[in-house]
Amino acid sequence: MPGAAEVYRRVAEADELASGDIAFLSLARTRLTGEMPPGDRFDPVGRIPAYPRPAVVALPHDREVAIDSMFALVVTHSCEIDRQKNADVSADHFDCRLTVAPIVSEAAVSLVRADGTNATASWTAIEANAPVASLYLPPIADVSELAPDVDPIPWPRSFADLRGLTTVSRRMVATDRLCGLTPAYLVVLQKQLARFFTWRDLARHELVEAMVGRRVVGAIPLNATGDRLRVALTADDGSSLTVELRAR
Amino acid sequence: MTRLAAILEERNLTYTAVAERAQLQPRTIRQLATGETPIDNVAVGTVRRIASALSVPVAALLGPELLFPGDVSVPRGARLSAAIRGVMWPDAATPYLSPVEGDDIGEGDDIGEGGRADEIGALPADEFFVDMPPVDARRG
Repeated sequence: MPGAAEVYRRVAEADELASGDIAFLSLARTRLTGEMPPGDRFDPVGRIPAYPRPAVVALPHDREVAIDSMFALVVTHSCEIDRQKNADVSADHFDCRLTVAPIVSEAAVSLVRADGTNATASWTAIEANAPVASLYLPPIADVSELAPDVDPIPWPRSFADLRGLTTVSRRMVATDRLCGLTPAYLVVLQKQLARFFTWRDLARHELVEAMVGRRVVGAIPLNATGDRLRVALTADDGSSLTVELRAR
Repeated sequence: MTRLAAILEERNLTYTAVAERAQLQPRTIRQLATGETPIDNVAVGTVRRIASALSVPVAALLGPELLFPGDVSVPRGARLSAAIRGVMWPDAATPYLSPVEGDDIGEGDDIGEGGRADEIGALPADEFFVDMPPVDARRG
């Protein structure tokens, strides 16, 4: 797992904005009024719990905007951020939108599965950047080493959550920027973005659908791990499918 | 830990004892102490009654006021310091859906995406892009 020195770099206030910048931002989420992402079992009042104290702005037709104040990571590619300069556009007319991912702190959350059960062991996978939807951000013992005007306080283990991508003004990022990612770790961010938008270990629905209407003529238990059992099913046309059964 | 929970622990008080003094339901005290209900979300009168029952000022129960981004009346360093304390180190942790999609993952387990082996995920980042030519490299 990477350490802070491999992941973070200092940024001066005057430095150009770049992919990997971390800043304190207002993030907007539009939703139906009272909608409860990611599920009412997690939060009966409609907040995303790890997103602190949202302000809510009402819209017509039972819609609203929830605005969260939190740290976020710029994921827009640095070349895209710079491109308008090369196109000879006035700074007043730059496209203001930078795409950012909210940063979720370990101290702010207790990770759970979709069924609400404890999933704190997920941090092992998050540290290895195994999930496609997160980028691991290691703890920092003393933030003032990266941002000298900030108090000498620690930064907890956290991750940028790619499920919450939204856009913000580039000027907002410049105002409250804390630090950035090293060039080496930017490549890891880019890999995670590519995986998140392109790659999934999809369920083989077509194989399951091909079995519909067929008679299962053979079921062979393959191996069992904990409460899981893998079984090879053979259909009457000779096709086969391996499924994993789980006892609840 | 919320400020209310810290006071209860320090004084070795139960939810029921405080609830009786404040004339509130023990469940209310528990929800506020655990952070399940943020203390900012309840009526001022409720907070006053709890503060009175504990003989502490109302402010002793409230978390630090969260600064909002862009508040230039506060120096940048102080603004970011307050934001780190308030946002990254809140009083209480709340449930949050894990980005891990699979089953149990623990120390020493296979930690591929979804808890299963994932060849792409296991590739070092620099190797991941090695065979990909830049897209539209002429764009400025």
